[in-house]
Amino acid sequence: MQKLFTLILIGSLISFTAKGQLERKLVNENQPVDLIFHAPRHINLLTVEPLDKKTMHFAIMHTFGTLNGGVENLFGLDNGANIQFSFEFALSEKFSAGVSRSSRDKVYQVFGRYHLLEQRLNESMPVSVSLAGGLGVNTSNYDFLPENAPNFSERSNYFAQVMIARKFTDRISLQLSPMMAYFVDPRPVYQIEGSENFYLALGFSGKFKVGERSSLTLQYIPNLNTDLRSNFGIGWDVEAGGHVFQMYFVTSQALNEPYLLAGGNGVPGEEFRLGFNVNRVFAIGQKKR
Amino acid sequence: MRRLVLFVFFSAFSFLTYSQNFVTEDGKAVFTSKAPLNEFDGVSQKLHGLVDLDKNLVDFYLDLNTLDTGIGLRDRHMRENYLETDKYPFAEFTGKMLTVPDLDSGDWVAVEVEGIFKIHGKEKQIQIPGMLKKEEKGLVKLQADFEVLLGDFDIEIPKLVFYELAEKQLVHIEADLKLQN
Repeated sequence: MQKLFTLILIGSLISFTAKGQLERKLVNENQPVDLIFHAPRHINLLTVEPLDKKTMHFAIMHTFGTLNGGVENLFGLDNGANIQFSFEFALSEKFSAGVSRSSRDKVYQVFGRYHLLEQRLNESMPVSVSLAGGLGVNTSNYDFLPENAPNFSERSNYFAQVMIARKFTDRISLQLSPMMAYFVDPRPVYQIEGSENFYLALGFSGKFKVGERSSLTLQYIPNLNTDLRSNFGIGWDVEAGGHVFQMYFVTSQALNEPYLLAGGNGVPGEEFRLGFNVNRVFAIGQKKR
Repeated sequence: MRRLVLFVFFSAFSFLTYSQNFVTEDGKAVFTSKAPLNEFDGVSQKLHGLVDLDKNLVDFYLDLNTLDTGIGLRDRHMRENYLETDKYPFAEFTGKMLTVPDLDSGDWVAVEVEGIFKIHGKEKQIQIPGMLKKEEKGLVKLQADFEVLLGDFDIEIPKLVFYELAEKQLVHIEADLKLQN
């Protein structure tokens, strides 16, 4: 009888397991962390946020005149904007290449971003690490100069940087970006404050999520090898229907990396400027699911 | 001897319970959003499901992280802002058929399934019309279409800015369920 009882018990156990619901399991326990930042740009700096293959990221970025002119100049908006158009194409999930054009000194830039590591949900990788670098050319007309106008090489500048980022909580993400820039011939006529060839800086980017689709943003870029003032920015990111709008106050009109490092900065608060980015990602070509 | 008979009977019984248990791990689920300016699909090929004809149990779940709309940034925004997959990774349905159909004909047979649909941590009782078809060698094909109102599951859509995501999601699932041994 005891055996029979055991049998029934085993039998009911089997039917019990057969009857139960499926066990809920994630398909990929090791998936990358989503949206460390809202977009591939964060105020003025590039981020670790990757693009998917065959997509294009388009960013329009503006910075206006200083706020201290007051309402007479509509808080700097009358004083002309530095505008940068940037197109970045993802050639693979890891690598993207882009071109941008910044109106300050009419600088055309080609740049690339490579994503080395991705932060993972299960902490098997605690940070995302990306590399970026680029070449820019100042295309302003310098025919008015009494001396010889700079040639192509003398007009060019370079930058390279590493981005190390981590999403600490649902709300807080930070990025550390050691950056360097090199101007082949930093002439006084260029709209930069520095006179050195080489610039070294450390960029800090911070995101503090305050709503479902919006975040408080911070940027701080202390120069490490020059006496130039450090860049400081504070802003607001909003996701809206596939766009990411970024509004901010910054201490510099510069929008591309070499000019951010060499361009010089005002005093935070006193010489703040209004800035505004619009980010949008487009699909180009058919993506295989 | 009696015990042996019982044992055989019991083994046969447990065998029977297994013989009606059909499962899949690679079913297809499509969420279609038809907003005024923007229509798009979120597709996953990782629908997990079970149909137990003997016990009348229908159980499906989908890892929402596997939904692909074709635009990575949109996927990430969808996961982070709407579905909140870090907190609620699964869409789930558990229910039973109103009548268990006889599938021996080998043709498509309509079934009504009633149960609890769960997404974004919220549950709702729904009824889904589906189709089942039994093919040879223990294979059951399944298809179903139903609608989900995001508002029913506390998934908020920004109304002010762009009409990109529709309140009403059309859900289509199809799967080849195999006999579980």
